[in-house]
Amino acid sequence: MKLVIDESRCKGCNLCVLVCPYGIFREGTELNSRGIVSPVLDRPERCTNCRLQALYGRMLCGVCHMICPDQAIAWVEERPFEPHRVEVEF
Amino acid sequence: MIAPDWFREDRLPHIYCTGCGNGTVINCTLAAVEEMGWKRDETVFVSGIGCSSRAPGYILTDSLHTTHGRALAFATGVKMARPDFNVVVFTGDGDLAAIGGNHFIHACRRNVDMTVVCMNNHIYGMTGGQGSPTTPPGAISTTTPYGASEPAFDLAELAVAAGANYVARWTSYHVKELTKAVAAGMQTPGLAFIEVRTQCPTNYGRHNKLRSVPAMIEHLRSHAMLVEKRDRLVREGRPVPEDTFTVGELVRRNRPAMGVRR
Ligand SMILES: Cc1ncc(C[n+]2csc(CCOP(=O)(O)OP(=O)(O)O)c2C)c(N)n1
Ligand code: SF4
Ligand code: SF4
Ligand code: SF4
Ligand SMILES: [Mg+2]
Repeated sequence: MKLVIDESRCKGCNLCVLVCPYGIFREGTELNSRGIVSPVLDRPERCTNCRLQALYGRMLCGVCHMICPDQAIAWVEERPFEPHRVEVEF
Repeated sequence: MIAPDWFREDRLPHIYCTGCGNGTVINCTLAAVEEMGWKRDETVFVSGIGCSSRAPGYILTDSLHTTHGRALAFATGVKMARPDFNVVVFTGDGDLAAIGGNHFIHACRRNVDMTVVCMNNHIYGMTGGQGSPTTPPGAISTTTPYGASEPAFDLAELAVAAGANYVARWTSYHVKELTKAVAAGMQTPGLAFIEVRTQCPTNYGRHNKLRSVPAMIEHLRSHAMLVEKRDRLVREGRPVPEDTFTVGELVRRNRPAMGVRR
C-alpha cells in the first residue's frame, strides 16, 4: 500500500504535519496547480499502514486520515514492483 | 477514505475554509456510524443553518437542512413519525444555543432518542464572525470588538442539567476519543449530546491571535482537561486552572426516553 495526498482535495492546512508521530508529512513550499501548498511526504513507506494494513485487515494509527478535514489522505494499492527504499528502524 | 459508503464524494472538496474543524467532525461521526453498522436508508441527518449545519449535504443519506435553530424540532418530528430510524443532528453553537436554545433544553428534557453533534467553534462562522453564547469572555468577534464581556454557556453541562442520557465533550484534535464518544452516544437510548470544540480559523482564530490552523488546534488541545483529572484536583482541594474546559464522558444514564426503537 502507498500513502498519497489527493491534491484535488487538500487545502494545505498542515494538520497532518502536526499529528503524524513519524513526521511523514512536511510543510510544502511549492504552489500546486490549484494554488495550494500541499505538504510533501518524507519516506511515507515508514507509515505502519503502508506495510501492515492489508495484513491486519484494518486501519492502524490513522490519525492523519481522521483529522484531515478535507478527506485528502488515502492509501492506495501500489503498482506491482514499484521501487522504493526500505529502511529498518530500531 | 473514511466511510466511503457514506460520503457524497461527488460533492467534495467541501466549502469549508482551509483547516476548518467541521470536516474532521464529519469524519469522526461517519466513522462511528460505520462502526454501528447502520443502514443508509434507515439513517437521517438533520441540521439547522450555519457552516456546521452544511455537513449533511456531504453525506449520502436522506437529510433535512432546516431553518436556523430548529434542527432539533425537525429531528424530533422525524423520530416521532419513524422511531425505527436512526437520527443524527449536526448543529453549531449559534444554531443550538442562541436561536435554538429552547429546543435544545427541551429535547434533552424529553430525551428524544437521537445523537446530537454540536460543532462549537465559539462564533457565528457563516455570517462573518459575530459573538455567540459560547464566545469566551475576552475573545474578539465582530460584535465584541473590545472583547466579550458576558460569561459563556457550557453546552455539555447544560445538556447534563436538562436531562440528556449521554453527554460527552471532546475537541477536533481528539479524533479517536471523539469517534468512540459518538459511537457510545449512538448506542445509548435517549438523547446523546456530543459537544466538539472545533477551530474556525477564518472568523475566530484570525481575530484572537490564533491565525494558523495548527496554533488553533494546539490551543484546544492544551486547554482541554480530562474530567477525571478535574475531579481529582477538586477532591484534593487543588485549584483547577481557570481557562481550561473538561473533556471526556460527562454522563451516561438510563432515564426514560422518547422515540426509542421498539
Ligand atoms: C432566523 C435566522 N436568523 C439569523 C440567520 C443568520 N444566520 C445564519 S447562520 C447564523 C449563525 C450560525 O452560527 P453557528 O450555528 O455557530 O454555525 P457556524 O457557522 O459557526 O458553524 C446566523 C445568525 C438565519 N439564517 N436565520
Ligand atoms: S497513519 Fe499515522 S503513522 Fe501513518 S502517516 Fe498517518 S499519522 Fe503518520
Ligand atoms: S490535513 Fe489534509 S487538507 Fe490538511 S494539509 Fe494534510 S492532507 Fe492537506
Ligand atoms: S467560517 Fe469558520 S466555521 Fe465556517 S467554514 Fe470557515 S473556518 Fe469553518
Ligand atoms: Mg459556530
